Amino acid sequence: MTGITLARRRSRAGLYWAIASLVPKLMLTYRSWFWTDLFTQTLAMIISVAFWRAVFAASVTVGGIGYQQTISYILLALVLTPLVQNDLIYTFGRLAYDGSIAVELTRPVDFQAAQFTLTMAGVAFNTLTRLPLLALGVLAFGLRLPGDPLAYVCFTVSLVLGGTLLFFFDWMLACLAFFTTEVWGLAVLRFGLAAFLSGSLIPLAMMPQALRAVCAALPFAQAVYVPLSFLTGLQDLAGAPRILLTQAAWTLALAVLSRFVFRAASRRAVVQGG
Amino acid sequence: MRSARTGVWSISWPRRLSNPALFPSGSRGRTYSPVATRQGVRIDNVNTVIDARDLSKVYRTSVKQPGLRGAWRGLFKPEYREKLAVDGLSFRVSRGEMVGYIGVNGAGKSTTIKMLTGILAPSGGSVRVLGRDPNQERVANARDIGVVFGQRSQLWWDLAYQESLNLIARIYDVPEARYRALLGRFTEELSLGELLSVPVRSMSLGQKMRAELAATLIHEPRVVYLDEPTIGLDIVVKERIREFIREQNRASGLTVLLTTHDLGDIEELCERVIIIDSGRPIFDGSIATIKERFSRHRLISFETAGRPGPLVLPTGVSLEAQQERRVTLRFDRSLQSASSVAASVMNQLEVLDLSVQEPDLASVIRQIYGGADPSGAPAMEGLEARVA
Repeated sequence: MTGITLARRRSRAGLYWAIASLVPKLMLTYRSWFWTDLFTQTLAMIISVAFWRAVFAASVTVGGIGYQQTISYILLALVLTPLVQNDLIYTFGRLAYDGSIAVELTRPVDFQAAQFTLTMAGVAFNTLTRLPLLALGVLAFGLRLPGDPLAYVCFTVSLVLGGTLLFFFDWMLACLAFFTTEVWGLAVLRFGLAAFLSGSLIPLAMMPQALRAVCAALPFAQAVYVPLSFLTGLQDLAGAPRILLTQAAWTLALAVLSRFVFRAASRRAVVQGG
Repeated sequence: MRSARTGVWSISWPRRLSNPALFPSGSRGRTYSPVATRQGVRIDNVNTVIDARDLSKVYRTSVKQPGLRGAWRGLFKPEYREKLAVDGLSFRVSRGEMVGYIGVNGAGKSTTIKMLTGILAPSGGSVRVLGRDPNQERVANARDIGVVFGQRSQLWWDLAYQESLNLIARIYDVPEARYRALLGRFTEELSLGELLSVPVRSMSLGQKMRAELAATLIHEPRVVYLDEPTIGLDIVVKERIREFIREQNRASGLTVLLTTHDLGDIEELCERVIIIDSGRPIFDGSIATIKERFSRHRLISFETAGRPGPLVLPTGVSLEAQQERRVTLRFDRSLQSASSVAASVMNQLEVLDLSVQEPDLASVIRQIYGGADPSGAPAMEGLEARVA
């Protein structure tokens, strides 16, 4: 490899870092939003803990899971929910719908890589802002974290793979914006489905068998339930290699497919507006 | 093309450019120089920046039927219609040229720009910008071009302008020292000083456009496409922006393709104009030629010593206006010269002063767009004859 290409690669890596560092700047523009979100999430935490206490007052286990495991799962899911709540469909959709995608496509960066960076930085930033909730969960609501470092490794790898494959899935959905004249409905539908099917409201283990099959076929659970199952002991660590390899294979397949879909969609579609 | 059989070089002219009547060779001869190709690899004139050949773009749009029944039908049996937005467009632009690209709304200007930037793939023909296919090599092409879409922004709405600029400089790999130097220069030339800490959302329209221009040129592109850069701006800002563009062109040989409805921009900046209508080029030449060719009529005004009486007018001359001591005549330049009209009037009246008015570009363009001359002589007639 020549020095020039190396230097160029390094500067590209720096570029994506610069793009990612946009996110906190943009998000902290609206400081009041930060505090409001923290307040509502704390409230949500109190309500869901009270709800599950009431449920477990009547029985020792629900769907084979005990109180402690459920509470830990629910509290962690609350912290991780931003992972399935990216607004890619809405932002990308709006770019395609009103034609401002033209501006993005005249920049000398890979459009998908830039959007991936922005989306992931957004997810990471939102997750970080929820870390105080994690502390609150441990201190006030009896959230218990595992002692085995391997659980954290599996969790992290699975989280990154799950978040990435969900991005590629959302990317393909967002490409519909080139053809439809509306994305808000699609974004809302996706948002609602993801909240339920990702396992961020209730652990998938508590769902009926048929519904669990649906969740397993869709990518949402890969970003929340699967990683969390390592951290809460719902998934035996011995099964980790198979699960992580499956996630990696899905990520690769969706990555290739999503690029193909974008190319086909953007070629066929009209870039709107004058 | 090099013939496979004989191996002999031949020189080919782009098809549409070969009609000398439509594309006056005298005006921009260097632009239409022949291009040699060898085994499919083009050896262009090194000065060619944009080379579009027989370019076309077809859009497929769905046909919406009126009413609820129509909407229902469209749901199950959608109908599509093909629209030819650009149709057989060929032109070349050389390094350092500033070309006005004009046409009525929907003529195909924006579609052309989108094909030149690589965000749309042509349906037919080919386009090369600095030797590259912009659609196939979109990212490489993007490094060398700059685009201002007058209605859109490349800046981040909520970020301070300086932050947007920093990121754009990163995106284009502008070396730090060069970036500082250019920023200093642009700040001075466009008075950006007080804008650097302001987020774009708080800027006025004029401030935003100055900010956009500096952001577009900070990576020193070799060619810029300016789509309506002065839309909605006051005369002072317009002047400043035109001056800035002229300066960049003069200093670095920047090539400019300017799309605008403001003919003041064109007259101030461009020597050459391409006019398109319904996706087809209808004129490509200098502003002087366009006035010469499409304005058959001139106005000539006489200031008279006394109140002018009835005049006997030569063929091709008509009375435009008559006031207390002033007569304005309109004459057809193909039938009369200014001096013959003046001689005829001076034989009949005592003339103190006279003036011949040059046609302004706006009225000429209006005639071309409208297809008819106010005097009844259709300007498009000659034009269509040439196109045919």
